[in-house]
This record gives sequence, structure tokens and C-alpha cells, in this order.
Amino acid sequence: MDKLDIPQGTLDLMILTILAREPLHGYGISQKLAALSQDHFQVNPGSLFPCLYRLEQDGKLKAEWRPSENNRRAKYYRLTQAGKRQLEQHRERWERITFAITSVLEGA
Amino acid sequence: MTTFMHRLASVLRWLLQRNRAEQQLDDELQTFIEMSSAKKMRDGVPAAEARRLAILELGGIEQVKERVRTYRHGALLDDVGRDVRYAIRMFARDPGFTVVIVLTLALGIGANTAIFTLIDALMLRWLPVPNPQHLIQVKFRPADGIEFAESLSYPIVRALADQHEIFAGVAGFSSNAFDVGSPGNVKRVPAAVVTGEYYETLGLNPAIGRLLTRDDDVRGAPVAAVISYGYWQRQFAASPAAVGQALLINGLPAVIVGVSPGGFVGTDVGSVADITVPVAALPQIKPDAASLLGSGNFWLRVIARLQTGVSVSEAETRLRVVWPLISEPVIAPHWPASRRKPMLNAAFQLSRGGTGWTYLREMYTRPLLVLMAMVAVVLLIACANVTTLLLARASARQREVAVRLSIGASRGRIIQQLLIEGTLLSLLAAVCGIGVAWLSSRFLVNLISTGPARVVLDLTPNWHILGFTGLVAIATGIFFGVTPALQSTSAAPSLALREDNRISSSRSRLLPSLVTAQVALSLVLLVGAGLFVRTLQNLQNFDPGFRSDGVLLVDLGPQPTALLQQLLNDIRTVRGVVSASVSTHTPLSGSIWSEPAVPAGQPIPERDTAVFVGAGSHFFATMQIPLLSGREFTEYDSPNTAAVAIVNEQFAHQYFSGQNPLGRQLSAKIGGRKRDLEVVGLVKNTNAVGLRKAPPRTVYVPYAQLTGTDFPVYPTLEIRAAGSPGQAAFAVRRALQRRLPSATIDVRQFTTQVNATLVKERMMATLAGAFGLLAVVVACIGLYGLLAYSVARRTKEIGIRMALGAQRNQIIAHVLGSAIRLVLIGIGIGVPAAWLASRWVESMLFELKPTDPAAIAGAMVLLTTAALLAAYFPAQRAASVDPLVALRHE
Repeated sequence: MDKLDIPQGTLDLMILTILAREPLHGYGISQKLAALSQDHFQVNPGSLFPCLYRLEQDGKLKAEWRPSENNRRAKYYRLTQAGKRQLEQHRERWERITFAITSVLEGA
Repeated sequence: MTTFMHRLASVLRWLLQRNRAEQQLDDELQTFIEMSSAKKMRDGVPAAEARRLAILELGGIEQVKERVRTYRHGALLDDVGRDVRYAIRMFARDPGFTVVIVLTLALGIGANTAIFTLIDALMLRWLPVPNPQHLIQVKFRPADGIEFAESLSYPIVRALADQHEIFAGVAGFSSNAFDVGSPGNVKRVPAAVVTGEYYETLGLNPAIGRLLTRDDDVRGAPVAAVISYGYWQRQFAASPAAVGQALLINGLPAVIVGVSPGGFVGTDVGSVADITVPVAALPQIKPDAASLLGSGNFWLRVIARLQTGVSVSEAETRLRVVWPLISEPVIAPHWPASRRKPMLNAAFQLSRGGTGWTYLREMYTRPLLVLMAMVAVVLLIACANVTTLLLARASARQREVAVRLSIGASRGRIIQQLLIEGTLLSLLAAVCGIGVAWLSSRFLVNLISTGPARVVLDLTPNWHILGFTGLVAIATGIFFGVTPALQSTSAAPSLALREDNRISSSRSRLLPSLVTAQVALSLVLLVGAGLFVRTLQNLQNFDPGFRSDGVLLVDLGPQPTALLQQLLNDIRTVRGVVSASVSTHTPLSGSIWSEPAVPAGQPIPERDTAVFVGAGSHFFATMQIPLLSGREFTEYDSPNTAAVAIVNEQFAHQYFSGQNPLGRQLSAKIGGRKRDLEVVGLVKNTNAVGLRKAPPRTVYVPYAQLTGTDFPVYPTLEIRAAGSPGQAAFAVRRALQRRLPSATIDVRQFTTQVNATLVKERMMATLAGAFGLLAVVVACIGLYGLLAYSVARRTKEIGIRMALGAQRNQIIAHVLGSAIRLVLIGIGIGVPAAWLASRWVESMLFELKPTDPAAIAGAMVLLTTAALLAAYFPAQRAASVDPLVALRHE
């Protein structure tokens, strides 16, 4: 199946959403994203990691090393308070955008 | 705000724990690959294949790392740091190359900084006073004047100082020199004469004691003196007791009232005023200068501050209104109406004065700008040269760049790194260049100081200079960094890795054109240098109508004629002395005396018509000014015999229309008294007021007949001696000292006085010559580098040619031929460029056209010879290629 390109600026929102449920490592995030998007999205690690690092540096995420499900050491990311606020803002904006776009499409 | 703090913290963390962060990133990516390949293995892919697929999916470990790094805050800082370290490693690997580049640039940048330092010191530095930007200079122009004059009379300055609605303060000043100390221990000290408001206008506070005030500048007031901070430290060991002590100035006691603040040495830039006295004290200190206080003498430079709220144009307008009301009493009352009227309608001009005043500015602005242009061209040549060297090396680094590109570096990153290498090289060069400039700007000031006056300039590097040098260095680094950077990153990595020679074809066109540009630019500089050197030669070989070599001069204070006669008789007996005489003035001394003199029967005009010289017997023989007809003055011309005169050709031409003037009578005014003179001799013209100025109309009168005029006469002795001037000077001094035990006797050479008038020309010839040669050397290094590089690259081709039967000579001729071609193209471009550029300096030349064939031909020959020399070594190397070795090579 052909993958879709992830729209500009939405990767942050999806990462934050995924991490809001539970802390995850990089590979876990990419797998979860594929699963939740029903395999429409496949995130490129070359985009994922820079994005994770930026969010971490801006204090939206916090990372810690701990053993993974199959006892490998992995870097787990979780949301900080600032991250949660960011998620709410992004989500609200996204809902307005989709609502607006849908209205336009249906009104036409 | 918190985001900002987070970022700051992460930058700091990154800087502090860079290695750990790198390690963690690596771990994280490895974990990703392991997890990803484990999943694939669970799906049934073999282990090795699973890992390969996982890495492929990731898009390359290094590429991801590089992308993460660029997203990281502080990444730029980190990149720069890494690039600097990398660049230093590259320099250390090839120290010879680095030294050549840094030296080439250091000379270029140093020369620029040196000339700029001088321009800065002479024209741009503020005086060390509060708010110098509010100081203005007052200039004055009588209605019949052509341009605004910088000098005003004492009464006018005083009148302006009273205009409190316009000016907050008006100060006049003039440099001077006083003989300070008790008899037997007299020293000449540089000084300034100022009006009472001087320090108040400048806004200065004393280091100790008080500064001069308006009350000191009153005729008859006790003579008060302010000394400079430096003089206080040297002469009084900075003792507070200095205030209140008396200085013996020209034998007159003057009380030191205070010390001016450190760093301030006067408003006359280029000279240091160690002692400052009020104008009103001048008649007591120098009785002969008393007339300076009158309304007929314009000698004070004027600096002022405007009243708050008054703009410059407003002040000029108000002055125009006020001047007619206040001018009447300050214009010389004895002047005829024809001269008073333009003064009454005079205009004032106010211009920025915060950088002080100096005669040097008018004298050196143009030469310094010409030199600035020349050093800029030298730097351009140096840059072109360094670009050539870097391009040649870039091909050696092509492989390294290709490897870095193919393993994930972006083109921008590599260009950034190469630019940082370039900037680093030029900053290194700038540091060395500031050293070069520091030494050479002192040399320049010494060169200027061989002129009529000692020049003291503040040359300590300030932010102007450091800023200038920094900008020049960065611009330079980018200039020569960009081309090689773009070049070496432009080729596809696959081609570069295969070491394909075809990719450097564009470079092979760029390199020769850079060398051609260097040749053309150095030709321009060489032609300029040739013009200035020939100008100096022409001036030195120029016959000024007198002969200065072998003549010693001694300046004396006013002496009775009888004593002078005795002194001359003593000197004439000194071994080696050929002849000796005395006069009031000597040619090119810088001071002249003029009076009105016309043939008898004509009314004596108001204005001076001729230069006057009081001369003793044997004057013309000693100076070797040819006597065309009549007689010299003799010992028998005395106050008791008929008043006589000798005129020069110029005077005879003007007033006797070239007829023999012998026996004709002159009506003259000497020192304000009417005199009738009989012309007894005619002498050749002399260029007495400047070698480049026309000989003035001159009337010589017997020195002995000057007694009875009411101005004091300062005699100069002229002594023509054979043999060593040093020995003669010593013997003359001893002979004079015997009769004048308390006087300081300074025996100087007439040639020094003549040479002092050529200081500007000598500076231009020396510096232009040095820059021209520097340019040629740098251009030749460039040519050598290019040829050596192309010979090395074409070793195989040369080997084939030799294997096919080419002779050594043919190979040499081939390489030399390509060098000559470059040089000829360079000369072809350079000659018209030089022709255009040299018209800009036409006014500075002497008996020379800007198209002087000797200068142009000389430059061409010198350049070609140097180029052939530079080309010979690579040619030699090409000819010694062993065909067998060359063919087996690669």
C-alpha cells in the first residue's frame, strides 16, 4: 500500500498524542504511528529523531534510559507538563483547522 | 521565557556534555536498528539481510546524526568550534603552506592597517576633550578672498569670544617653541600660544593647579604658563610643588599655574605643546613677535563651541548680521580703504573642529589617499595569490571533500568549513599584520618628521584601527575562501573519487586569469612607483640656483654687527672652511621676509612686491648663486655708505623689463621706513620658497645696512667647507662657542634643510617603491605557484613529449612561453589601467607626464624579468622529468 506524506507540522502533534498515553522509545513511536494511522503513515527516522530531539530540548518531552519490553536498554520519551499544554494547544488548533476545512468542502 | 531557559540550558548541556550526548544519540540509533531488525527477523527475514534493510530504512546512521545535530540548539556554535579545530589540524599538517599564506596576507593587511593608522591619527581621531563632536572650527574669508582662511587675527578672535549669544566659547591657538632654562642650560621646548578662553572652550580640567583663564590673557598681566602632563612628569617628576615655580622662558620668568590633564597635548595635531602661554604674554616672551597681537596679522587657528540650542547654520547667519557691527575696531586702522572694505564684508564659515587642526592634513591628505589606494591594490594581489594557492590545494583536497560529501555532509557544511579555514587564515594574518603596522607606522611618522617640524602622532591602536583591520581580514578571508570552496564542492563525488582529471578543467581557466590579474595590478603599482621615484629624482637633480651641499648653517640670536664680523673672521680661519657669510634668511628655510620695492619714481605700493634678504659679504660666493653682472656685497657696505641692493633676474624682468638694472635706483620700505637703494648687482634666480614654486622676485640688501630698522634681526651664518661636514661642523661649533659661551650652538647642514622640503616626495617614492616591489614579489609567487602546479599535474604529458623526442630546451621554452603569455596579457591590461590611474596623481609629479615612457617601460621590463625568474624554476623541473618514471607514474 502507498504511504502518505506526513503533512507539514503535524508530526509534533502525533508524537505528543502517542506519548500522552504512555512513554515510548523511538522505534515504538514509529511502530505505533504506523499502526494508529492504519499504515497510511510511515515516519522516516531521519525526520523522527530530529523532531524528538527538538521537543526534548524545548522541554516538551523528558527522556530516560530504561530496559525495554525485551530487556534492551532504550531511550523512553514521556510528556512533561509543558508538553501536555503544547498538546492541548496543538490539538485545539488542529480541530479548528479540520472543522474549517470540512466546512469549506461541504459548503461547496 | 521557560522555553528560552530550556534552550539555554540545553545549549550549555550540549557544550558541557557533548561527548555524552553524541554517545547517547549513537546508542539510541543502534537500539532502533536492533529493534527494527528483530521485528524483520520475526517476520522471517535472515539476520544479515534484516540488519541491512533496517539501516536502509533508517536512511544511514551518519545522515540521521547530522540532521539531529543541525536541529540541536548550539549546533552552529558547535560546528564552528569543530571547524576551527579541524582547520588548525589542516594548517599544522602543512606548515610551509600556511606560513606562506599568512605572511603574504600579513604584509597586505599590515600595509593597509599602517596607512589607515596614519589617516586615523591625522584626520579621524577626536581630541581628548569632553564632547569633541560639538567643537567647530571657525574660518574667515574677506570679500575679495578666494577661499576661507583658517587663520584669524587676535583682535577678531577676542571680538568673536564676546558674542555670547552665538558662542559658548571661542579659542585661538598657534604652535610655537620657546628656549627654556637658565643660561648654559637652555632647551628648546615645543609650546603653544593660546587665547584666554582656550581651556574653558575645550572643557578641560587641570591635573593640578589651574588652567589659563581670560584674566591671564591681558596685556601686562604676570606671565602664566600651563605645562603638559608629560612635561610635568619628565621635568618635575610629577611633583605637586611644580605649581608656583617659575620657568625661564626665553630668559623671562613665567609662573607655572597648573598642569593640563594627561593625554591632552594641544589642539595642533602632530605637534606637542609642552608649555602653553596666553597670547598677551607673547610681547614679553618674544619682543619681536609683539606685532602678532595687532590687527594686521592672521595667525591664530580658531576652535569654538556654539551656545546650546544654536545650530551651525543659525550661527553663520547671526555672524553675518553681527560682523558689520563689531568689525570696525578689529580691522587694521592703518590699512588703506581698498583693503579694509573687503574685510568689513567678510564671511565666516563654521566646520567640524573636534579633530583639532594641523597643517599636515592639507599636506598629506592626498598622498595618504593615494597610498591607501596602493595598499588596497597590494591586498587585492595578495588575495588573488592566496586564492591561487588555495585552489591548487583544493584539487589535492578534492578527494577528502568528496569522501565527506558522500558520507553525509551537506554542501553548505563543507563550504562553511572552508570559509572558516579562510577566515581563520586571514585573522591569523591580521594579528601579524597589526604587528607589521605598529612597526611601519612609526617608520612612516619618522619619515614625515624629517620635514620642517617634528611630528608626534598618537598611533596606539584604537577601535577604529582594530575594527578596520578586523573587517579587512574577514572580507579578505571570504574573498579568497569562496572560490575554492565553491569549486571543490561543485564536482559530483563519484567523479572526484575516481580522481578524474577532467573535473578541474574550469579551474585551469580560473587560475591563469587570477595570475594575469596579479600581473596587471602590480604593473599599475610599479608604474605609480616609477612616477614617484622619477619625481623625487627630478627634484633632487633640479638646479635651484644655489648649491646646498657642503654648506653648514648656524642660527643665532640677535647679535651686534661687530661681534658677527669677529665670528665670521674666526670661522674663516677654521681648517676646511672655504668661505663664510651671514644673512637674515636662507633659501627653503620656510620663513620669508617681504617688503614693497619698486623703481624710483613709482609710488611705493601698499602691498609687498618682493622677497627681501639681508646678506653679508661673500653671501653669493658661499651659496654659489651666480652673479650675472655688477658686484657682490663687501665689508665696505656699512651704515655709513650709500644704501645698495642686488636684485635677481625675476625682479629685473618685472621692473626693468629685462634691461640691465645696474645703477638704477629703487624706492622701498624696509621695516616701515622709506629707503632709496642703488642697484649694484644682478644675480640668478633661486627657488628660495620651494623647489616646485617659481623663483620669487628678490631684493638683497647688505646685512650691515639693516641696523637702524626697528625690528630685531636673527642672523644665520652660512659656512661652505671642504672635506667632511661632520669635522667642519665640530670645528665651527668650537670656534663659535669661544665667543658665545652661553649660547646653544646648533650647526646644521644646508642639505638637510633642502631635503626637508622634499619629505612628501621622498615618502611617496619610498612607499610607492616598496609597495610596487612587494606587489611584484607576491605576483611572482603566484606565477611560480601556478606553473609548479601545472608542471606537477602534467608530468605524464611532459614525459610523453620527451619520449617522442622533445628536447630539454623545448620543454623549458614551452613552460617559459606560457608564463610570457600570461605576463603579456597582464601588461596589456595593466598599461591602460596604469594610464588611467596615474592621471589621478598628475599634480603630485614634477617635470614628468603621467605617461612617462621611462616609468612605463621600466615597470614592464622589471615585471617581465621577475616573471621569467619565477617561471625558470618550474621550467627547469619540467625539463628534468624522466620520461620512464613519468610514464610509469599512475
